[in-house]
Parts: sequence; structure tokens; C-alpha cells
Amino acid sequence: MATDTITARRLTNGIFAFLLIAVFIALFFAYARHEVKLHAPRLQVSVRNLPYYAACSFMRMLVAYAFSLVFAIVYGLLAGTSRAYERVLIPAIDIAQSVPVVGFFPAAIYFFVAMAHGSRFGVEMAAVFLIFTSQAWNMALGVYESVRTLPNDSVEALEVFGASGWLKLKRLLLPACVPKLVYNSILSWVTGWYYIIACEIITAGPAHYQLPGLGSYLMAAADKGRTGEIIAGLLTLLAIIILMDGIVWQPLSLWAERFRYEFAASSEPIRSLGMLDAMGAIGPTVLRLMHTATRPLGRAIRRAFASTRPFNPAEHPALRRAGRWCRITMQAAFFALIAWGAIEGLAALVRTMMRPWPAEVRRIPLATLASLGRITLAYAISLAWTVPCAIAASESPRFARRLAPIAEIVGSMPATALFPLIVLFVIKLTGGMNLASILLIITGMQWYLLFNLLAGVSQIPADLKEAARSFGLSRAATWRKLTLPAVLPSLITGSITAWGGGWNALILSEYFVYRDRTYQVFGLGALLDDATYRTNNSLMILLSLLSMVLVVIVLNRVVWRRLYDLAADRYRIEY
Amino acid sequence: MALLELRSVSKSFPHAAGTLRVLENFSFSVEEGEFVAVVGPSGCGKSTMLRIINGLMPPTAGQVLYRGRQIDAINLECAMVFQSFALMPWLTVKANVELGLEARGVAPAEREKRAGVYIDKVGLDGFEEAYPRELSGGMKQRVGLARALAVEPRLLLMDEPFSALDALTAITLREELLDIWRSADLPVHNIIIVTHIIEEAVELADRILVVSSGPGRILADLKVDLPRPRDRRKEAFNALTDQVFSLIEERA
Repeated sequence: MATDTITARRLTNGIFAFLLIAVFIALFFAYARHEVKLHAPRLQVSVRNLPYYAACSFMRMLVAYAFSLVFAIVYGLLAGTSRAYERVLIPAIDIAQSVPVVGFFPAAIYFFVAMAHGSRFGVEMAAVFLIFTSQAWNMALGVYESVRTLPNDSVEALEVFGASGWLKLKRLLLPACVPKLVYNSILSWVTGWYYIIACEIITAGPAHYQLPGLGSYLMAAADKGRTGEIIAGLLTLLAIIILMDGIVWQPLSLWAERFRYEFAASSEPIRSLGMLDAMGAIGPTVLRLMHTATRPLGRAIRRAFASTRPFNPAEHPALRRAGRWCRITMQAAFFALIAWGAIEGLAALVRTMMRPWPAEVRRIPLATLASLGRITLAYAISLAWTVPCAIAASESPRFARRLAPIAEIVGSMPATALFPLIVLFVIKLTGGMNLASILLIITGMQWYLLFNLLAGVSQIPADLKEAARSFGLSRAATWRKLTLPAVLPSLITGSITAWGGGWNALILSEYFVYRDRTYQVFGLGALLDDATYRTNNSLMILLSLLSMVLVVIVLNRVVWRRLYDLAADRYRIEY
Repeated sequence: MALLELRSVSKSFPHAAGTLRVLENFSFSVEEGEFVAVVGPSGCGKSTMLRIINGLMPPTAGQVLYRGRQIDAINLECAMVFQSFALMPWLTVKANVELGLEARGVAPAEREKRAGVYIDKVGLDGFEEAYPRELSGGMKQRVGLARALAVEPRLLLMDEPFSALDALTAITLREELLDIWRSADLPVHNIIIVTHIIEEAVELADRILVVSSGPGRILADLKVDLPRPRDRRKEAFNALTDQVFSLIEERA
């Protein structure tokens, strides 16, 4: 029985993945034909324009986040409340999550720019779409998990009182989602900043589209070698992030606490930005004001509804029939769309594959290996400093308390914002890209490792530490028998996210246009960028992307999934 | 010379509102061969006292003398049994029991032999390769006990060892603990057990220290002369239980 469901799940999994990829390829090639190139006028690199660029980036983030939020709630509720939807929607997210988003940015630009008939709006849409893809999945999963793990008795309690539909949504399902939604929103904003800057850098660098924002400003400043302006840009970004944290996220997290279901005292929150405590008071005040301001409106709506008789669909059979037909039609349309996409995609795929293969294709396997080697090296270097840091934090709570807020501020700075600065200095210093490339990948990996390790260390139960001391374990023995096994699950989770970050950083890090010169190293990211921005070879783009996705999926399945299962089985601490 | 002597030991922790006084002016001594129970309500600092005796934390004031010497590091002649068992989830039963021996630099072959002996002694023969999560609560605490016994401590410290177990399991384990304490081939003859279950103290100990809460002070030092095995239904047993209970209640 159990194996049956697993097999069935794998089957739907596979079919869905295939359809999804096919649809994507189809759309890509349907629009790649009428691509348009916009040559952007050079950006003004001056501190005076900085607020404008910051506002541009922030607005993009806001729009993408709004889409992600709506998507996450609808998607998560559907998956969480219906088994049928769950079977399709959750594997789909699994796949979407494991794809390196940045790799698809060039394709997204082509698609949206063509759709918008070459206007700047297309580039904007591409950027928003990319940020959306980096923000939406974990939020949707958060909603899904919240709904799925709702205590049964509270669901029943509400049903006993005859609550259903809107009331159930308002009083039970949505409040239950709040803590995870807030937590994931914070994460999503961090990743969102990373990608918005990446998008803007790509458009300002190799792609040459107009996308004014902090990323393109930083890139243009690096291009002109203006270190002062780069620092000003970075500080602006940091200020926005700290302000957001103080005014929005900290108050929201506090507010979300009351929706928690667990009764266990939560561990003391890491006080990240103590200096902003006072500022944190602004958030609740704003919320309260908004609430007071909108209260009359809400009351009016309620009164308007109260005067009408409650609507009961059961009394209107015609309406119910219409509703059912509507649903069936929509489902049919949806499946027809997928089928069309699959057929189109297959045809396009065959057409592309039939074209003569460029000689460069033979370089793909070796380039993949080179890139893999680069990421492995970056991973090793990241491990080499984060693991000792975590061990030190486990031995000295004082060190942990000091490290956490610093790491949190530095880590919430999108690493991509540092790219122009790093490239500027390293290229000047060494004249080549190799060192810069590895450094850039490290910036995309290390924080995931550090944060997960620190979280893991902070969760080592006090009694185990006490037992280790009480039995007289030496420092080395404590590492071996307690600290390392205890953080292993966090280490693996951190590694999985770090490798995800590494693949994304790879595409940005192997190919850089600086002062109208292209710097590149031999690797998959460089091949991909070269094919996209220089030779315009869609077959090479396709094959490079496929090679990358293949490696990512194989690594996930063969290495990480297994390690994760082992860790979850053996090294889990349960009480 | 007393095995253990506490001289006006006090302990306080920094707290949001000033300092939190946990122990105040604890003075008592334990003689060689004694089984002492420390009884008190939750939060009376009795677990803190045990940790100070083990050397896990220093007292704020006062002295702890072990065989005349002042304790200023982990006392390796002690071993602790924890309320939460505190077993390493990633180590097998055998590896958990060997933990203390390894720390004391016992050679692998000897380690294995001794772990085997004590695993047998607590009745876990055949579970050497099991992981803690596969065991019931009672079995987990047997591992905890074997781990402590394996280092052959002169003084065994037990922090609410049976409080996390169901009542029936606790009864069995108490009897087994008494058997182990009395059997001649074991080097463990001194036990300090901390508990909030009054019957447990009366059933097990030679001597009961009754402790008040907030901050912890010693209210009484009672000798238990009841013959073993002690019957919970006997008049004398109940009289002593009532006496301890009213001592604690008066203060609350």
C-alpha cells in the first residue's frame, strides 16, 4: 500500500516535471524568434540619483513580493486542504525549488521582452518574474505546512460549531499560516534582494538592457572605478535592509508569535539589531493606526452584508450547476493548455535538436566539471571557516551572542551587491577572473552554512552538554561525540541550500563585462552567458541549462537526499 | 573524614530583575556508605546543588569538600544520572555506556568488557547495538544508569532519575537500584538522589534532607531507620512520609 502510493507519487512527479519543462521550452522558443535588443543609455553614476535607483529596486521587490504572497496563500491553501491538489502541487514546487533561477534569467528576458514588444516593461516583467520565482516557493510551502499540521481538535472544534467556508478561512486557516508566512517572508526578502541585484547586474553588464536600480548603479560605478559611489550604494542598501528589519519584520515577528500553536516556551529570540528596539515601536503604532483608520470601512461592509440574507448555494441548484460547469471547463482548459504546451515543446525541442550542433557543444561536459570543481572548492573554503566558528559558538555562549547579530546583518546583505566591488579589486589585482569567480561563489554559499550551523549549535540540548562535561569528555571528544553529530542535520540542510546558492552564483561569477571587456573563465556559467549574450545560440543555451539542471538533480538525489535521510534518521534529537 | 562536605554553600544567578537566589547556606556532610535523598518542591535548587557537587558549576559562596579537598573542576569520582536520560541519540547503547570510560582513557578492549558487564547488570543484555530512540523510557534510564555505573564512581549522583518514567516502571527501577547498591561486587556505595517524590526518598534513602524552595534552605535532616525492604503500606513508612510532607507544606 505504502509503496503503491510512493510509486504513484513518483510517476505523477515525473510526468509533471516533464510537462512543466516542456511548457517552458515551448514558450521560450515560441517567443525567442522575435527577440529585440534594447541598448540602454549609460546610467548616471552619482550619489544624487541613488534614492531613485533604490526606489526602483524596492518597487520591483514590492511588486514581486505582492505576487508571491497572493500566490503562496492560494497555492498553499489548495495543496493543504485537498489531497488531489496536494499530489500535483507539492512535487511541482519540489522541482521548481531545485532549479537554479539565475540560469533562466536570459530566457526570461527574451520571453518577456518579446511579449512586451521590445519595451522596457518587458525587462521589468522579467526581473519581477525572476524575483517571484525566488520568493514564492518557500512561502507557499510554509502555508501548506501550517495548514497540514493544524491540530485536528481545533479543526473539529470549529466544525462542531458549524463554521465553514469564509469563517473557517478567516478564523482558523489564515491565522494558522501567519507564523510561517512571516518567517518565510523574511527569508524571501533576503533571497529576493540577492536576485534583484543579480538581475540588475546582468542587465547592466552583459545583456545591456535598461533596468535602473541599485544593482545596475553598483555595476556602472564599478565600471567607472568609482569606489566612493560603490560604498555609498552599498550603505544605502544596508540602510534599507536594516530599516525594513526594524520597522516591518521585527514587529511582524512579534505579532506572529501569538498565532503559534506550540505551547512550549520558544527559545529566546536572537536580538539582532538592539539599537533599533525603539524603532520597533513604530511598526505596531502604524499597524494600530491603519486598523483604526480602516475600522469604519469594515463596519460598513459588515453592516451591508448583515442586512442581506446569508447566501446559501444549496438553495440555488441552477447556480450550483453553473459553478460545477465552470470548474470543469476551467480544469479542461488547464489540461488542454498543458497538453498544448507539451506538444509545442516537444516539437520545438526536436526542431532545435535537428539544427546543426555547434562545435562548442563538445565543451559542455568538461565545462560542467570545471564549474562543479569551482563550487566544490568554494564549498570546502566556506566549510573551513564556518565549522570552527560554529564549534567556537557552541563552547562559548558569549561568542555566539556576539557573532549572531553581526553575522545576521552581514548575511542579510545580498552577496550579489558585493560582486562589482570584488570584481573591481580582484581583476585589478590579478588581471584574471579565476580567483574572483571562486570568491563570488563563496559569497553565495557561506552564509547558508553559517546560519544553519549556528542554529544547529544553539539547539544542542543543555543536558547533553552537561552529560558530556559531567563524564569528563575532553574538548576533542566533545566535538566528536556531541557537537559534530548534533549539528550534522543542520550542516546537511545548510549544505543543500548553500549548493543551491552556489549554482546561482556560478552563472554570475564566470562571466563579467567590465569596462567593455569580457572577463571569463572556462565553465558552464561562462558557456551559458556567452551563448546568451554574444553568440545568441539557443541550442547552446538549452544544452547548457539541461546539463546544469541534470547535475543539480543528480547531486540532490544521489548525495544530498541520502545524507539528509541518514541525518534525519540517526542524528535527529527528539524529546 | 567525611566523603563529602558542603560548608555554607550559596548560589545565585543573574536575573532580569536583580539576582535570583537559588541556594542559601547549604551545610551538610555525607559519610562513606550513605544513601542520601534530597527532597523538596520544584525549583528549590536541589538540582543546582547536585551540579555544584559534581563540579559542573561553581558555588557563589561557600565550599564543597570532597574527601577533604576543595572541588574546583569536574569531579571524576562522581557520575551523574539525568532526569532526561541525556543519552547521545547518535550513539548505540554500548557506545553511550562507554562514553565515560573513553573520557577516562580506558583502553578499548577493557572499555568494551566493562560496558558489557554493566549493560548486563541493568538488564539490557542484547540491546548493545540498539539506538536510544528504539528504547522505552525505562530502558533509556537503564542505559543512563549503566553509563554512570560503568565508570565505577565512588559517589553516584542521581537527578530526579525516575521522574520522567511511568509509576510502574519507576517502582521496578527503584528496586533494581537498591539491589545494585547493596550487592557487594559493585564499588558504588554512596548515592545522593534528588527527588520531589517523597515516597521515593523514604523508600530508598538512609537519610533525607528536606529542602524549602525560593531560595533553597535545608529544613530538616532526617534519619531513616526503617528495615529494608520497606513496605509502603506499613504505618512507620507512612508516618515518615507525612512528616516530610508537613515540613514542606508548612513552609509553602
